[in-house]
Amino acid sequence: MTSALTVTGMTKTFGGQRALDDVSLTVEPGEIRALVGQNGCGKSTLIKILAGFHDPDSGSAEVGGTALTLGSGPASEAAGLRFVHQDLGLVGNLDTVDNLALGMGYRSYKGAIRWSDERKRAQEALRSLGYEFDVRRPVASLAMSERTAVAIARALSASGSEPKLLVLDEPTANLPAVEAQRLYQLIHRVSATGLAVLFVSHHFDEVFELAQTVTVLRDGRHVITRPVEGLTEPDLVELVIGRSLEEFHHDAKAAEKGAVVLDATELSGEAVHGMNLRVHAGEIVGVAGITGSGREELAGMVFGGVWREGEILMQGKHLHRMRPDLSMAMGIGLVPAERHANAAFMASSLRENVTLVEPGRHVRGWVLRQRSERTDVSAWLEKLDVRPRNTEFNMAQLSGGNQQKVVMARWLRKEPKLLILDEPTQGVDVGAKADIHRLIDEAATLGTGVLVTSTDHEELVRLCHRVLVLRKGRVVDEIFGPRLTSETITAATIGRDQPNAA
Amino acid sequence: MTVNDQAAEPVATEQPDAPPAEAPTKRRFSLGMDRFSGLYVWAALLIIFAIWVPNLFLTASNARIVAGSEAITAIVALGLIVPVAAGAFDLSIAGTLGLSVCIIMWMQENGYSWVLGIFVCLLVGLLVGLLNAFVVVKLKVDSFIATLGMSSILVAACYWVTDGQQIVSGISPDFLVLGQKLVFGLPLPVFYMIGLAVILWWLLEYTPVGRYLYAVGGNPQAARLAGVRVDRITTGAFMLSGLIAAFAGVVLAAKLGSASPDAGTSYLLPAFSAVFLGATQIKPGRVNVLGTLIAIFLLATGVKGLQLVGTPSYVKDLFNGLALIIAVALAARTARRRA
Repeated sequence: MTSALTVTGMTKTFGGQRALDDVSLTVEPGEIRALVGQNGCGKSTLIKILAGFHDPDSGSAEVGGTALTLGSGPASEAAGLRFVHQDLGLVGNLDTVDNLALGMGYRSYKGAIRWSDERKRAQEALRSLGYEFDVRRPVASLAMSERTAVAIARALSASGSEPKLLVLDEPTANLPAVEAQRLYQLIHRVSATGLAVLFVSHHFDEVFELAQTVTVLRDGRHVITRPVEGLTEPDLVELVIGRSLEEFHHDAKAAEKGAVVLDATELSGEAVHGMNLRVHAGEIVGVAGITGSGREELAGMVFGGVWREGEILMQGKHLHRMRPDLSMAMGIGLVPAERHANAAFMASSLRENVTLVEPGRHVRGWVLRQRSERTDVSAWLEKLDVRPRNTEFNMAQLSGGNQQKVVMARWLRKEPKLLILDEPTQGVDVGAKADIHRLIDEAATLGTGVLVTSTDHEELVRLCHRVLVLRKGRVVDEIFGPRLTSETITAATIGRDQPNAA
Repeated sequence: MTVNDQAAEPVATEQPDAPPAEAPTKRRFSLGMDRFSGLYVWAALLIIFAIWVPNLFLTASNARIVAGSEAITAIVALGLIVPVAAGAFDLSIAGTLGLSVCIIMWMQENGYSWVLGIFVCLLVGLLVGLLNAFVVVKLKVDSFIATLGMSSILVAACYWVTDGQQIVSGISPDFLVLGQKLVFGLPLPVFYMIGLAVILWWLLEYTPVGRYLYAVGGNPQAARLAGVRVDRITTGAFMLSGLIAAFAGVVLAAKLGSASPDAGTSYLLPAFSAVFLGATQIKPGRVNVLGTLIAIFLLATGVKGLQLVGTPSYVKDLFNGLALIIAVALAARTARRRA
């Protein structure tokens, strides 16, 4: 029997950094394979090479015994590779029929679409996956697993060749348990037809419940491919991070605790359930968790950007929800994730970007004095080593790292009592990252309480006195002292039933 | 396509220390073709028409006519800058202007004092702005649609107030002075325009409120997370544009000395054109007071010159439309090149 997919010696280098190093693997028809590894281990590079986004430096691939032309999206589709990305790529306000047509086109009769035929076709495609629902509803109104089914149906029914391998990226991320089960059934169903399935995952639940075999990548290299049967979770964690957890010790920062700045009890939001959180003056508290764990909404919940339940006391005083302005007035600052959407004013000058949170400081006699504003901002740009150091440049003219520093300057200038940072070094180059870390340290030394949420576990270890780990909206571990290593954090974020060691 | 974006992202953001696009000192010595192109074009137009029709064009009376006829458009456009800076359209300004004209005339015809009339008009303007803001902020209707609906409602209100008739009787001569008196050879509305321009220039450039307005227009989500009360700013912007449009209506009524229910409609497009054309000037990419004024008088000069040369009447609209499209397209090109 010919293999569904054979990858041989795949190597890819990005700017001197080896993302993928001589990786080979084989997936058989009907097999369900999990591809796991830490962030940056090369899984997405491998997938993107298969999808034709990246050209590998060397290596080859075969699909169903035929050599695959690499570096071309249409070629990999024609060869029988199908991809469903994590965001599914559906158009929310169109219905299932239209979304499927985005893949395979409409069949028309004398130039007119025959909607009854199209609907029948969509229903059949879904039924073959074990799903039945009204195909005329906009996909945004469907349950998450139903949406995934639409995306898979579209991938499998795309015109042209016969599908040989279905690649799924984090198929059950953010899915409630019941829906995840439905999706597992779907995937078993398609694999039973002889289609090979390769899925990328951070969720070990998914790996153990769905996959027959698992491939582990680490630092761009293939570590192992083996059956899931007989594998334990600690084994898998060790394979992913490369060391056993007990091996690691290092001198963690000793927390010199000041007064409690932030005291949050029973915080709940969309994903977070009943979380308690305290931050002391001068303390840097980290929060880790995989996507969907609640980590990504925490910063906004505290600052008032998104809805929350629960009581927050800021220096003993009640903090209103959904009022960023009041949070700010009480001494909280937020450097949000996704700078472009949430923090940067691209068409405004650096001066305006920095002083926006408190322009009144430069008002004298009814007039906002730009000269004093310029001196003020200029000093901050110098302190944070922003380049180019010209207050009148537009934000859009700066690199990502420098933009992030400008956002940092905005808040540091306010001397907040509590500084919240969400993914503070996302999309930032190495030098700027080190600078930003230094600034955070300095702020804490001066008595600011700091709350950092990050998916970069090395960063949390570098910065934090202690790290709270969220899983499914609850704090499952509090890591500090000698246990504070990125391996421990990673293990705690993905583990299923580790004892709570806090 | 989403994957493509993700793939492109790190490349765009991970450049360490992108070199400055241009040395800061260079700008000081350049002729400022990007920021002041409108002034150059204006000067060119003045020279061309001065040579072409010397006995008609470069005369005091012609300057007075242009200034006077454009002052009201300019007032409306200045008011429009405020919501546009905050990222909201206000299409109801023309309706507010028209209603204001009708109200103040109707009140005088029915024996009320024009002073009271002015207060009522301004109050109605504020109220229209508040209603717009309510629909946009609370009901979350897109500002374009909300104010489009509102402008139709306002036209209906005009007909209701005037009964569809022109109002010409009972107008106080004192009131007409407000719109017609010449001071230093220029009609009074020109001075209102200048006064309003100074106030708005101060508001937008030299107060925290101006910063908040542009921040909300630039990135409302980021503004909210920087503690700006986005809803309040938007509400204030609509109320201010309503107030100014109502004021423009009072001035127009005093200038014309009569009211017809559709007096406002012809001011909508010129005001919008001026604001967008103005955004290519002085502070490119940003609606601003000086740029808007330059745009208005640039267009008016061009149109007037063409009229004096003897071109047919449709040339006015043709010229306005072409100038707007060409200028904004050129500005978009320079913006792309700079990015």
